[in-house]
Amino acid sequence: MSDALKYSLADFFYNDSKNVLDPPSDFEEWMSDPSVRVGFSFYEQKLLAAPRSSTEILSNVDGKKRRVINLMSYNYLGLSTHPEVIEAAIEGLRKYGLGASGAPLLSGTYDLHVEFARQLAAFKGKEDCILYSSGLGGNVGAIQGILRKGDVFIMDEKCHKSLVDGCTLSGAKMLFFNHNNMQNLDDLLAKNKGKRILVAVEGVYSMDGDLVKLPEVVEVCERYPNTAIYIDEAHSTLMFGKNGKGVAEHFNLEDKVGISFGTLSKSFGGVGGFICSNAPIIRYLKGYSSPFHFSCAPSPVVIAGLIKALEVATRDSSLRDKLWENTKYFKERLDGMHLDLGGTESQVIPIIIGASGEMLYSMAASMQTRGLFLQPVDFPAVPAEARRFRISMSAQLTKAEMDEALNIIEDVVARGMREAGLLKT
Amino acid sequence: MTRDEVIAVIKKNILDNLEDLEESSIDPEKSMKDLGANSLDIIEVVSCSMRELNLKIPRTELADVKTIGQLADKFMEQIGK
Repeated sequence: MSDALKYSLADFFYNDSKNVLDPPSDFEEWMSDPSVRVGFSFYEQKLLAAPRSSTEILSNVDGKKRRVINLMSYNYLGLSTHPEVIEAAIEGLRKYGLGASGAPLLSGTYDLHVEFARQLAAFKGKEDCILYSSGLGGNVGAIQGILRKGDVFIMDEKCHKSLVDGCTLSGAKMLFFNHNNMQNLDDLLAKNKGKRILVAVEGVYSMDGDLVKLPEVVEVCERYPNTAIYIDEAHSTLMFGKNGKGVAEHFNLEDKVGISFGTLSKSFGGVGGFICSNAPIIRYLKGYSSPFHFSCAPSPVVIAGLIKALEVATRDSSLRDKLWENTKYFKERLDGMHLDLGGTESQVIPIIIGASGEMLYSMAASMQTRGLFLQPVDFPAVPAEARRFRISMSAQLTKAEMDEALNIIEDVVARGMREAGLLKT
Repeated sequence: MTRDEVIAVIKKNILDNLEDLEESSIDPEKSMKDLGANSLDIIEVVSCSMRELNLKIPRTELADVKTIGQLADKFMEQIGK
């Protein structure tokens, strides 16, 4: 295929092959192109140890096992590998076995699930909570469970795909407003005035690390009756706000948010999702949310660990304090290299390198060879002119690890961009 | 194939994918967003039009396209190759 690098996964969605078991013929040709294979070799690389700030991978770049500093894992607070969390999960495993062995409605609800849901609702300041086996399932299930044909779902254009999928399943009208653009949101609300409307935003936007302008969103939405706000706090729960409740607490607007979603796979260090809201809508969701009642309940082992994770993260502010201390230290030094960090305001820090896919993958390979695990993020996940590396900061990182990671970023990314004339000095 | 014929294909796919729209309201100087399309609708219209015209243009090359007329021009460039 000529110009293979100009194509991306965005170009092969439709399939004209006669047999459904055959992918598009040009997709196969594209995937076998050597330059495309180099790009894909970065994905699904095997981690050989826990997602700590230093870990071990089996590199696809050169086939070698390698110790790496880990700036990729969502283990923001280190709870996935916290000794107390591990002990609690082991106890849960001994008592309950590996899986729930049932859907929540019939036989999959354990005392642990009820207790954890109660704790999460209290933590978020809502009446009730529903648990899901995955974060994606939570977003899909909430939107599909609540909205119906004739309803309107308006979301920030940078919201997660799970919200799009949930809306598609619901049959509601799906509209996007330009990122954090309140005039655009207002226009869409005005055009759909009188309908049942749900507006979705994210606390921290996952590819850019910036925050929702929640005070403005609330102000605009309050002008329109029967308009509720849904906040996805996947990348902000346990980290933002005085008590770590999330971005809604950070802005002191928890009572203005109708539905609060969170994942259990990021700062919590486990896996799953949850929705907190008023008791009647949670009861309704339990009847109509497919990922809840047609899926096996979350593993009791994971829930046992998560109960401990919530306790550890909220008994004092030490873990989130450390995360913000590390984030400040790291960001200041990246700023000193004059790198483009977008509009980050959180522990998610993009380093935007521009339009060159070749440069992106070449830098990723060099950093990995030097011992830094920092993966490329390419189009269509981000705009083609803003390909990037995306750093997940962690409370676990030591100063020595951060300094070594910064040295590698300086040598590979900053120097490379300077030599290509892409960096101000 | 003429530019007008290409625009006719795009218009047909816009009408197939967007609700409550009159053909006469589809001005080539407008963007699909102006007509109420969301980003998924736009992907659908572009993909269906390219399939119908037997074209394959990388999405990365369509990022700067704003209006229906500009989309037709991109298609014409490829048809002319």
